[in-house]
Parts: sequence; structure tokens; C-alpha cells
Amino acid sequence: MTKLQVKDYEFNLVKENPFISLYYNKKLKMAICSAKEEYIPIDYFKEMFLHISAMLKEFEINHLVFDKQKLRTFHQPSMEWYFAVWKPVVKNMGLTNHYKILPKLDWFEKAVEAGKFEIFHKFSREILSGITITYVNSTDQAIDDIVQKNKFFE
Amino acid sequence: MMEPLYFKEQLQAKEDMLASTTNFLLQTQNDLERKNKELILSNNDIFDSINFASIIQNSLLPDVNILKIFFKDASYQVIQQIGIGGDTVFIKNTNKGVVFGLLDSTGHGIPAALLSISSILLLKELMTSMEIDNPKILLNLLNSRLHKTFNNKASIAHNEGAFFCYSSANNSLIYSSAKGKAILLNKHGEIQELCSTKKSIGDNATTEFELFELAIMTGDKLIIYSDGLTDQFGGEKNRKFSRAGLKTLLSKQYLKNASDLCKLIHHEFVTWKGENKQTDDVSFIIIEF
Repeated sequence: MTKLQVKDYEFNLVKENPFISLYYNKKLKMAICSAKEEYIPIDYFKEMFLHISAMLKEFEINHLVFDKQKLRTFHQPSMEWYFAVWKPVVKNMGLTNHYKILPKLDWFEKAVEAGKFEIFHKFSREILSGITITYVNSTDQAIDDIVQKNKFFE
Repeated sequence: MMEPLYFKEQLQAKEDMLASTTNFLLQTQNDLERKNKELILSNNDIFDSINFASIIQNSLLPDVNILKIFFKDASYQVIQQIGIGGDTVFIKNTNKGVVFGLLDSTGHGIPAALLSISSILLLKELMTSMEIDNPKILLNLLNSRLHKTFNNKASIAHNEGAFFCYSSANNSLIYSSAKGKAILLNKHGEIQELCSTKKSIGDNATTEFELFELAIMTGDKLIIYSDGLTDQFGGEKNRKFSRAGLKTLLSKQYLKNASDLCKLIHHEFVTWKGENKQTDDVSFIIIEF
């Protein structure tokens, strides 16, 4: 699938590996990272997110949706890298609005909470300063939020 | 479909995730247990403090035997919502007879208790400094003093209640009432609800309370009560005890003496309330002429 239609916006597939697909919409300055499997090995995870960092040198991406609905396992070292290394780097490149879509499973949400607790304990909450994380139920909801906050899209 | 190569890795990640979540939940549980212990200690401190405050407030309640000097029988009950509260009873003998009444201060709990104690001390001061045997004058003076003390800048403190002056020389009973609730129950079980001035004490410095005279006969009973009694939720349908409920009870039990009637109302109140929270402070005085 090379195109993804969300509401009135068309997203182009810019990169794909067996575990994640990455779509982009220039008008919204928005990327969608979508998990394809219930687990993402760290190499594939890093590959995809490093690709986003590389894209930021050429394209404006202000909003990133990470759709984890298919995930059933997360890899704590991947999460640590994502929070403590990758996010601060992309923050300085203008990517500050992160949307998360979690699977609708209480145990998974608790596991994410536990993972984040461990990360903040290790690195302090300061690593997220200047970054906005919003939990949404769908990419539609993320787009509504972006459009609402940036009326000029209308 | 995921490559089998990653199954083992995922299994390990899942085990790590489970261990991390379990650890987090255990830590959360420990935190909750610690906070719960702190809350229990704070709660105990607060209740110890309230219990002691309750002893202090109760010690300001008057001796019912003063009323028994003038009347066939008398009894009262004050049941504060949390041990201390805004309901209180006032009894003071004068040269000509006795002044008695019930005050229900705004709200409940600690603020109401502070206001109630202040009001009782003001009443005692007024009755000691002047020989007042007119309830209208007493209410007007209390109104003016309370307004000056508490409500001059912002309206924060109000009382409701009814005060009676009995003159033993001519067996007359006069009263003034600030939204007070009172019932005269005659010896045939007939009920008369007493009128009141529809103003609170302390609201407005210029309020003038009306004076009423009540014709009393031997065997009549006077029931003065706070709205906490009739506003209590309970019973089978979780409704208010209500004025109608109180009147029905009184008209059925009119043969009982004041002390027994007081016990009965208390019992009915507790039964009606059941497992419900007490809605407000509750007080009632029963006088039998």
C-alpha cells in the first residue's frame, strides 16, 4: 500500500520494513509510523526512526503519529533509545508533537506506564521537556487535533 | 508473518515487560499501602481532635433540669453530623421565668461549630449583661451582634432558630423565630405549626423579628427542631423524613411524656437514617406544659 487516505488527507508511503510502515503528508507536516507486527526488533525500530531523523533534514515534520495498535510486546531498550536518544534529537529539528495510539488493552497500557516509569527514573522527566505527547484513539483523531490547533490548514 | 528468528527475542522482551510491569505494580501497591497508613494516621488525628472538640462543645449545652423547674417535663437532643456542628440549645432562667431556644448555624462541621459556639457565647453575654425577657429583643440584639462580628464585610454566618420566654407569674409564653421550626402538639394529638419571621439571624443588621404569643394549656407539648431532622434521607425509598413524617409521628404518639417522646424521635431518626450518612446536624427540644 503506497498511499494511505486518512480523512481528506493522502499520505505517501516513504519507507517500509517487515515491521513498520512510514507515511508522510507534506501539507499537514505530519508522519505516521505504523506497527505492522506485534513485536518490532530493535534494529528495524532504529532503522525506521533514524530514517525519520534523516527526512527531517529535507522535509518539515512537526507531527508524528506512532500507531502501536498491532503491538503486543515492546522492547524496553528500544523504548529507552526512543525516549532518551531519538526524541531529544528530533525535538531540536522541529518534531515536537508526538501522537500515540495504543492497543486497547489495559495490560498493555499498564506495561507502557511501567516502561515509562523506569525510563523517567533512569533519565528524569526532563528528557521530555518541550515535547508534547498526546494519546489518541485513531489517526483521524490526531489529524482533527492538528487541524484544530493549526486553523490555517482549513 | 513475523520471522521465527525473532520469536525468541520477542519472548524475552515479553518476559522483561512482564517483570517490569510486575515490579511497577508492586511499587505502586507499596506506595498505596504507605499512603494509606499515612491517611489512617491523619484520619485518627483528625477524629481525636474532633472527639475532644465535641466534648468541649457539649460542655456548653445547658442543663435540661432548668426547664423541668418550670414545666411538667422537658428533654432535648443534639446530634451533630460529625460530633461537632452548628446545632445548639439555649436555656437560661430569668427573674420572671425561663428563656429557651434552639439555634441552627449555617452549614455543618467545624465552621458551623465555631459559629454556634460564638452565638451561644454572645447569647450568654447578652443575657448576663441585660435582663432580657423578650425573645424579639434577644433575637434583634443577637442579629445585630452577629452581623457586626461576622457579616460586616462578607456574608458568611447565619443562624436559624426560635427563642421562647416563659413567664411563670402569668403562665405566658411568647416567642420570636428566625425561620425556626416549632410545633405545638395539644393533649388531643392536634398539631399547630408555629409561624416565624422568614429572615435569618445575622443576615441584615436592620432585620426586625416579630413577636408571637402562644396560648398553652396543661398537657400541651412544644417541639422545637432543626431542619436536619426533617431533611434526613432514609427509609425504604431513601426519601426525606419530612415535616409530614414528623407530624404523623407526633400525632400518633401524643400521649407520651416529653422525655419518652424525645427518646422516640431519636430512635425514629436513627432508624430512618439507617446506613445513610447523616444529612445535617440535628437537634430538637420537647417541652411538656
